[in-house]
Amino acid sequence: MNQHVKNVTPEPTDLSRRSFLVGTAATGLVLGYAGVPGVGEALAAAPANFEPSVWYSISPDGLVTVTCGKADMGQHIASTMAQIVCEELGAKWSDMRVNLASNDPKFNDPVLGAQITGGSWSTMMNFEAMSRAGAAGRIALAEAAAAAMGLPPYFKDQLIVRDSMVSHPKSKKQMSFADIVKSGKATKTFTPDELKAIKLKTPDQYTMIGVSVPQLDIPSKTNGTAKYGIDVMLPGMVYGAIVTPPVRFGATVKSVDDAAAKSVPGFIKAVILDDKTQTTSGWVVAVANTYANAKKAAAALKIAYDGGPNAKLSSQSLLDEAKRLQGLDDSGQFFVKDGDPAAALGTAAKVLEAEYTTSINIHAPMEPMNATAEFKGDILHIYSGNQFATRSGAIAAGAAGIDPKFVVMHQMWLGGGFGRRLDADMMVPAVQAAKAVGKPVKVIYTRENDMTMDFSRPLTYQKVKAGVDGDGKLVALSHDVVSAWPTARWGIPDFLTPSVDKKGPLDSFTVNGSDFFYTVPNHHVRAIKNEMAHNATPSGQLRSVAPGWTFWAVESMIDEIAAATGKDPAQFRISLLDGAGKNDGGAQRLRNTLLAAMGLAGYGTKKLPKGEGMGVACVSSQERATASWTACVAHVAVAPSGEVTVKKLTVATDVGTQVHPDNIRAQVEGAVLWGLSLALYEKATLKDGGIEQTNFDSYRPLRMSQMPEVAVAVIANGEKATGVGEPAVTVVAPAIGNAIFNASGARVRALPITAEAVKGAMKA
Amino acid sequence: MPTLTINGRSMSVDAANDTPLLWAIREQLQMTGTKFGCGAGLCGACTVHVNGEAVRSCQTMVGDVAGKKITTIEGLSAKGDHPLQKAWIAEQVPQCGYCQSGQIMQAASLLAKNSNPTKEEVVAHMDGNLCRCMTYSRIQKAIMRAATEMRTASAAGNERRPT
Repeated sequence: MNQHVKNVTPEPTDLSRRSFLVGTAATGLVLGYAGVPGVGEALAAAPANFEPSVWYSISPDGLVTVTCGKADMGQHIASTMAQIVCEELGAKWSDMRVNLASNDPKFNDPVLGAQITGGSWSTMMNFEAMSRAGAAGRIALAEAAAAAMGLPPYFKDQLIVRDSMVSHPKSKKQMSFADIVKSGKATKTFTPDELKAIKLKTPDQYTMIGVSVPQLDIPSKTNGTAKYGIDVMLPGMVYGAIVTPPVRFGATVKSVDDAAAKSVPGFIKAVILDDKTQTTSGWVVAVANTYANAKKAAAALKIAYDGGPNAKLSSQSLLDEAKRLQGLDDSGQFFVKDGDPAAALGTAAKVLEAEYTTSINIHAPMEPMNATAEFKGDILHIYSGNQFATRSGAIAAGAAGIDPKFVVMHQMWLGGGFGRRLDADMMVPAVQAAKAVGKPVKVIYTRENDMTMDFSRPLTYQKVKAGVDGDGKLVALSHDVVSAWPTARWGIPDFLTPSVDKKGPLDSFTVNGSDFFYTVPNHHVRAIKNEMAHNATPSGQLRSVAPGWTFWAVESMIDEIAAATGKDPAQFRISLLDGAGKNDGGAQRLRNTLLAAMGLAGYGTKKLPKGEGMGVACVSSQERATASWTACVAHVAVAPSGEVTVKKLTVATDVGTQVHPDNIRAQVEGAVLWGLSLALYEKATLKDGGIEQTNFDSYRPLRMSQMPEVAVAVIANGEKATGVGEPAVTVVAPAIGNAIFNASGARVRALPITAEAVKGAMKA
Repeated sequence: MPTLTINGRSMSVDAANDTPLLWAIREQLQMTGTKFGCGAGLCGACTVHVNGEAVRSCQTMVGDVAGKKITTIEGLSAKGDHPLQKAWIAEQVPQCGYCQSGQIMQAASLLAKNSNPTKEEVVAHMDGNLCRCMTYSRIQKAIMRAATEMRTASAAGNERRPT
C-alpha cells in the first residue's frame, strides 16, 4: 500500500480545476485527477513503484479495480462506486473489483475534501465525479483502440464500448480492454473544461445504473474471508485488553497495582493512557501474548480511580439541566428564525405545548471497537475499520506524539458503523500500547467496554409550542432542542453552522430536520447545548443523527395539532405541504411520498378492529439540502395493559435516482427496523456517571422475533440520487407514536415508548 | 497443548484449557471467519458446530472440546457452496456481514435436522443471533431457499453430508 509519507491535513480539492489523466503504467492503466498528490507521481513513477490510484485502474488482464475512499459498513458503497464507474466506462460487471483506500488525501471525497463517511452523502456527492472518471476512461480506451485497429480518427463516433470491449461494427473489428491496456497506447489528458464537456449518459441510456447487480463484497461475507479490523494479524503482534473506569468520562487513574496480573501467563505490561487528545479518560491497557491472557491480566489489575467531576451524574441530572437551560431566555442559538412566534402565539386561538425526550442510545455494532497499531521506522501504521480516516489519523498521531503526516491508516471492512466509527478512541490505546511495548498491538474492546464507552446518541429534551388561528391554521411553532453537541466535540469549525442570530456557530447535527418543509409563517428553532451532558456523556453521530429526535418532536406535535383541531393527521400534513416560498419543490415531493405510503398501507380505506390504529409521519431527513423524502404509515395494536404490537410498517421514500434498487431496499428495510428498535427497545441510562447497560442482555436491539411486516415503496423519479442509509430511521418512531394515539388515545412523548407510559397516558 | 479436531483436521493449539474456543480458533489457528461479538453468549456471532450442534464458541472452553468434531464457517463447505451460502448470495443477505458467519452456522444446524422448517421454527432457532444491520427478513428468505434446495437435492438421491 502506501510507502511514502502522507500529508493528511484536510485540504480543499476542487476537482473542477484539475486535469484528468489517463496513463499507462507497468501494472496497467491508471486514471485519476492531476495535481491531487500521488496521481502525477504514480503516472511518472518507475513501473515497479506503481500503485493503484484514484479512481481506478485497469490491469492487463482487463480487471477494473475501483479504489473506494468511503468506509464500507454494509451499505455496499464500494460496490456502488464501482457500478457508477462501470456504467460510463462500458466495462463488464464481472470484471469489476474494489479496493479500500488508505488515508492518502488523493482518495479524499471530491466534494468534502476529506475522508469521512456519513450523512447518507456518499452516492449523491460522488456520482458526478465517478461518472466523469468512467466516461474519460471510455473515451481514452476507444481512441486507443481505434488507433490500434487502424481506424481513422473520424470513425470514433461509430465505436461501441460495451462489456469491456471496443468494437467497430462496420469493419467488424474489436479489441478488449485487456488488449488495449497491453498495447500501452491509452494515454490521454483531459483539461478541466474537456472533462466537464464530456456528455454523460442520460437515464434512458443506462445499462448499469438502476440494475441490481450482485454486490462485489457479498461472497466474502458468506465464507469467512472478508477481513475486518478485528481480523488483522501482523508478525510479532501482541494483544491489548482495556480496563475502563466506572465513569463514562472525566475519571483519572490514581494507581495501578499489577502484582496479580504478573502471574498471568503471557502478561507483558499494563499501560496507563496519557491521552492528550482527550478522547479517553482513565483508561488502562493490559498487554499480553494472546487476547485471552490480556483479558485475564486486565481482570487482575487493581486500579484506583478519581471519579472526576461527572461521577455523581445520572440521566435525571442531564434531563433536569436540559429543562433549566430551556427555561432561560438567552440560552442557545437560533437555527431557524422566521417571523415572530411569540407574538403569533399571543394572539392564537389555541396554543399547544409539549415536551419530547429521547434516551441515551448506543451504537453497538456487532464488531466491537478495535485497532491495531504498528510503528515501522518513522511511520505509524493503523489497521482499523474507520469512517473518518482524516480525523482518526490525526488522533492516532496525537496519541503517538507525532505529526499526522507520518500516520498511514489501513482501511478494513467495517463490522457495522452507524456513526460509531467516525470516532477514534480505539486508536489511542492501540498506539500507546504499541509504543510502550515496542511491538504491534491489537486492542479489542470487550462488549462491556464498547457499550459503556460509546459515543452515544445524546439524551435529548425538546420543548415545542404551537399556535393555531381561528380557522385551525398552524400559524406559529417555537421549538427548542437541548442536547449534547456531537459534532462540536470534533473541534473542526467547518462542520459547524453559523447561527441565524449571529451568536456563534451551532451544531446543526442536533437540529437538522427541525427546518422542515411545512409552511409555518412564524417558526423559531433554538439549538441549546447541554454542557453537562456534553461533558459527562460525550456524544456521537448515531445513524440518522438529529432527525432521529427532531422529527420525533415535530411529527408528534403536528399530530397533536391535527387531533386538537379535529383534522385527519395525514390530510393536515398535506395542507401544510403547500410548497410556498422556500418549500417549493421539496414540499410537493414529500406530499407525494406521503400519499404513496398511504396508498400502499390502505390508510383510511378500512375500519380497524378495536385497539388497533394507524399513524403517519413524513420527514425530510437528513439535512434540508440533502433530503430523501420519506413517509411511514404504522399499523399497531395496543393492549389494555399498554403493550404495543407493531403489526406493519409501510414506508415510501423518494430517492430521485436508484443506482442499485435491491440495495436501496436492503438499506431502507434495515433503517426501518432501526427506527423500530429505537422506538420500542433500545434505552441506555446514566447512573453515578457511568452507562448502566453493559451487554445485549440489558441493551436490547431488535431481534428476529420482534420484526413486524415491513413494506417498502421506492420512488425513483429521475431527480438526482439521494441517500438511503439513514432517512427511514427517523420516520418510524413518530409514526408509531401517532398510531398508538390513533388506536388508544394515549399520547406518548418519550422514547423509547414503554407499556407503562402508554397505559399511563390512556388514563390521563 | 490441547489438540482440536477442526474442519476435519487435527491441530494442536498453544492455549490453556480454560481459553474460550473462539480465541483459540481466531488467534492460534488464524481462522478469523468466526467472530467475537459479546463474549457472553448473547449475540451468536461466534457460532460454530461441535459434533454438529451449534454452540457459542465464546462460551465453550478449549478443554471441553478435545476429541470432539468442530466445524467453523471455513469448513462448512469445500468451496463456500453449502446451500445456505449459495442462498445467502442469491438473496444478497449480508450488509456489514460481521454476524453472518454465525447466522449461517446457526441456520446450518437447523437444516441438518429439519430441511422443511416452518417460519416459526426458523425464528425460534435464529432468535439468539443478533444482526445489527437487521437483515432478518433476508436471513429468513435465504434459509427457506436453502431448505428447498436441500429437499430437492435429497429427493434426487443426492443427500448432503451433515456438517
